[in-house]
Amino acid sequence: MEKVCVLGAGSTKYGKLDDSITDIALQASVDAIESAGIEPKEIQAGYISNVFGIADKQVHLGPVIMSNLGIPEVPSLSIESACGSGSVSFREAFANVAAGFYDAVLATGVEKVTHTGTEWTTTYFSYCSDFFYEGGAGASFPGLFASMARAYLAEFKATEEDLAMVAVKNHDNGLLNPKAHLRKKITVDDVLKSAVVASPLKLYDCCPFSDGASSVILCSEKFAKAHSKNYIQVIGSGRGGSPAALQGRDHITTIPSTKIAAQAAYKMAGITPKDIDFAEVHDCFTIAELVDSEDLGFFEKGKAVEAVRQGRTKLNGDISINPSGGLKSKGHPIGATGIGQVAEVFDQLTGKAGERTVRDAQIGLTHNFGATGASCAVHIFKSV
Amino acid sequence: MLSKEEFINNAKIGKILARKCTKCGHLHLVTTYFCQNCGNKGFENVIIDGKGTVVTYTIITVPPDGYEKYVPYAWVVMKVDNSELRISGFMGGIKSPADLPLGTKIKITDHDERGIIIGKQ
Repeated sequence: MEKVCVLGAGSTKYGKLDDSITDIALQASVDAIESAGIEPKEIQAGYISNVFGIADKQVHLGPVIMSNLGIPEVPSLSIESACGSGSVSFREAFANVAAGFYDAVLATGVEKVTHTGTEWTTTYFSYCSDFFYEGGAGASFPGLFASMARAYLAEFKATEEDLAMVAVKNHDNGLLNPKAHLRKKITVDDVLKSAVVASPLKLYDCCPFSDGASSVILCSEKFAKAHSKNYIQVIGSGRGGSPAALQGRDHITTIPSTKIAAQAAYKMAGITPKDIDFAEVHDCFTIAELVDSEDLGFFEKGKAVEAVRQGRTKLNGDISINPSGGLKSKGHPIGATGIGQVAEVFDQLTGKAGERTVRDAQIGLTHNFGATGASCAVHIFKSV
Repeated sequence: MLSKEEFINNAKIGKILARKCTKCGHLHLVTTYFCQNCGNKGFENVIIDGKGTVVTYTIITVPPDGYEKYVPYAWVVMKVDNSELRISGFMGGIKSPADLPLGTKIKITDHDERGIIIGKQ
């Protein structure tokens, strides 16, 4: 297996964007290409992650992106795995470079949905659930995670204030990220007083629907060395699955796919959770960050709450979780999110993260899943 | 293979049409083709009483399309009595958590355009 590196990364701002889905995908892709210091003609394949291209009248995005990069002959594919599309696409790009099929590839994720409004997005996002039992019985995505939250609060004697502290921490981080969607300092009280979306989750427990695009260049170590000194190495990659519906899981307060993916990634990297300096985890809702950080092995089951109360997951705490602001504050353009996490790790480990830099960080982890964690990918990176 | 229609007809009379693995006895909902426990393909139909208890739930105030007129309503995960099977569905008439403590005895009452309908026992 070839060693795989990330040579460059780019992202648009996340939020409500005016440009088309194609335009923002291209802006991020061009940024990534320039960041890598390569020519488009050196790219041998494109991996494009997107869920609702239909909302902006453009599916089959790959050839459109490649054509506009001046390389229409280069093959591409589109990957949809709900909110986990970006990391799943990254994994396919990684696997193909690791296998030696390609020396350098482009992985771009994009989403453009905010113009459709809350009702459209709430409805269409619910199609990512096991629809017969969940979306088709009135469950929204906030509702599914709210059901996890109610079970978690009861099982581990946690409170809605504890959930709120996750949102406050991620907004504090997002305030330091110029590309974040919600750059606004909030308090526990603001969260508790925000409108209930699906009890016990309130508006500020939920990530926003965002537009945005992120892009990275993956390549072999040989290619990386020939082009730059400023790259990072992918040292672990793992994927996993869970029963699609919450009702199919023995424990509602854990996400099986995260555990499976994390174990595989740690094994490949030859490290343990203690070696991780910072992590970008899938905090689509505050409850998810608590569950994720336990399933990833950073804390024992039920102990993430205590860690959050003690500030251990803040920027430059014992383990910085979501230094970018996470989905909660940075935003969640669902097809782009998994790639955006890798872009954040690239920026962190190559000295480009500015005020939100995690001190002395050498190893970063990304964790991104689809739906309620039915599909998941975990990647681990180290500076070189 | 059993059809969704038969499953729905059973839900309408408060029953769950499940599939029991002929090899290991593991119970699944109707849509499974292979046993998730042992991989076996053989199943027998089992009709179970649709009664159980609340595992967890949410009360939805920002609904998907088509559910506006029912707000607020609950979406509930139910553990089926005397089995490891869990099933989820729509439950109207729930306005606050005080209306539905975890563990409350509930049952399937119907299936309509809102999905599987659950009510209190």
